[in-house]
Amino acid sequence: MSENTYLKVDNLVVEYTSDGEIVHAVNDVSLRLDKGKTLGLVGETGAGKTTIAKAILGILPTPPAKVRQGSIELNGRNLLELPEKEMLKVRGKEISMIFQDPMTALNPVISVGKQISEAVILHENVDKATAKKRGIEMLEMVGIPGSRYDEYPHQFSGGMKQRVVIAMALACEPQLLLADEPTTALDVTIQAQVLEMIAELRKKFNTSMILITHDLGVVAKVCDDVAVVYAGEVIESGSLEDIFDHPTHPYTVGLFNALPKLTGDEKRLSPVEGLPPDPTNLPEGCKFSPRCPYATEECRNGIPKMCETGKGHYVRCHFATKFASEGQGVK
Amino acid sequence: MAETCVEIKNLQKIFDVGKNAKLHAVDGISLKIEKGKTMGVVGESGCGKSTLGRTIIHQHKSTGGQIFFNGQDVTHVRGKELKKLKEHMQIVFQDPYSSLNPRYTVEATIKEPLQLCKRYTRAQVDDEVSRLMDLCGIDERLRLAYPHELDGGRRQRVGIARALALKPEFIVCDEPVSALDVSIQAQVLNLLMDLQEKEGLTYMFVTHDLSVVRHISHDIAVMYLGQLVETSPSKELFVNPLHPYTKALLSAIPTVDIHAPMERIQLKGEITSPINPKPGCRFASRCPYATEDCKKPQQLEEISPNHFVACCRVREINNL
Repeated sequence: MSENTYLKVDNLVVEYTSDGEIVHAVNDVSLRLDKGKTLGLVGETGAGKTTIAKAILGILPTPPAKVRQGSIELNGRNLLELPEKEMLKVRGKEISMIFQDPMTALNPVISVGKQISEAVILHENVDKATAKKRGIEMLEMVGIPGSRYDEYPHQFSGGMKQRVVIAMALACEPQLLLADEPTTALDVTIQAQVLEMIAELRKKFNTSMILITHDLGVVAKVCDDVAVVYAGEVIESGSLEDIFDHPTHPYTVGLFNALPKLTGDEKRLSPVEGLPPDPTNLPEGCKFSPRCPYATEECRNGIPKMCETGKGHYVRCHFATKFASEGQGVK
Repeated sequence: MAETCVEIKNLQKIFDVGKNAKLHAVDGISLKIEKGKTMGVVGESGCGKSTLGRTIIHQHKSTGGQIFFNGQDVTHVRGKELKKLKEHMQIVFQDPYSSLNPRYTVEATIKEPLQLCKRYTRAQVDDEVSRLMDLCGIDERLRLAYPHELDGGRRQRVGIARALALKPEFIVCDEPVSALDVSIQAQVLNLLMDLQEKEGLTYMFVTHDLSVVRHISHDIAVMYLGQLVETSPSKELFVNPLHPYTKALLSAIPTVDIHAPMERIQLKGEITSPINPKPGCRFASRCPYATEDCKKPQQLEEISPNHFVACCRVREINNL
């Protein structure tokens, strides 16, 4: 563990109750994030990525959600034990979040400028005029003319709305940014613009970031470390090079194989067969075993432990060491 | 020369969106799609690629130009003939969550077109449903399931089975995998490619995902604001893009190769409004190479065999 660890999530378990059934959304997740670094959380729909981010920010709807166990330490303080009043000071100031859908993340009846300065007024002891000045600065920083301060969300295009959401999130110079699929709703050329902008702003403020996405291409461009999430568990984590050059867990390997490539001539794609498991009824043993081409009796019965296959490269698989040394014939 | 399945000449679809406001969704597009091949149509959201597909299959009425199907001019067919034509041209929609009737079972959804065409007896309809379900990889036990019981990938398979029910020759796939996760997306793409081989289908594949389009298409057409800017065989386009917009688009795709050099062409600004556009190249306002000449209308020009580009400076830019 490096001394710079800024965010430390340990053994986090989150459950939702719906219709008397328990949805196991996050099962024993541990994460580390260093100051100024970016961690990519990768996984399919319903894998629990957004729930992890919401738990960190303390905005899970409770009920139905409940944090069963675990700790989330930010700079040495356990956020789960902070009283709500203290949490209000953390939220938006130390940690802020960029939500997935810019079309719904903004209030349609408040001008975009006001929505940005609102956070500034809440967290910094400033008067309205200073807050407005700050709002205009933020808009200009994300490439929107300050003269549009008083315009409403519907007057902006999708890409611009996403930039407003980013300006809002960065207005108080947060130490930790949670970006939940910040570019999924955008076109590639706009996506590239937005990603570059986030990178620039982060450098400026030395912000740490957790980037949630299912797009491995975006992860490759932006992240320092990667954690692959499957059925509420981190099944593989490590540096960008570990994951992209030496994917070891069969699911990670499967994800890479399922992507259509921009080079090469393969005729057919190799999908990961089967479907992600139902979170109300998770399989016993390894959660990936029903879809795994290498699953044995051992996998179906025993829950695999995280196994360190290289320095800082963790894999949750019974055969991690074998796959790490011999590979699986990455197609 | 291979047979042409669908050909459009100078096709236009302009929507009236208020007083003196005309939205040029599809503006003078000419394309040829060969039998058994896939034409990929790419572009940013709002560039008119979905409208193009829907206008070809007569879901929208075209406002200009011609549509040929198997060599026949079908631009203005009506009534019975139109119904007949629609049997040969089908569509698979983007969102498998909203394109299926939530009150119809899988069986009822696939059955509906079979009953409407009145060519089958009741027993034959049941057999056909089984055949289609099997063809599209839907388990027989899901016959009486409702859409909410299915995941996105299975729903999309139902959408595909429904489109195939009347044995069409031409299918417009309107972003069929955009709403699916990568692991499921690959399953559906494989299915579409298998079906093309088995049934000799012709596809028009509309998408904004360039790696998907490269994988599935034989030819690619790049659209910008209702117009065609470049069309070429698929491989050629990715190796040798000629139009400045195509170059920028391709350079913006994030790849999973972390060691690849990053040479991104930065585009300023965003797609402009398609309402009452000015004549001339519509990309000019964002183009790093724009000059006075770009304010004149641009013509598609064949630069190399089957590779067409609409840019007056294409030779200069690419040192040809």
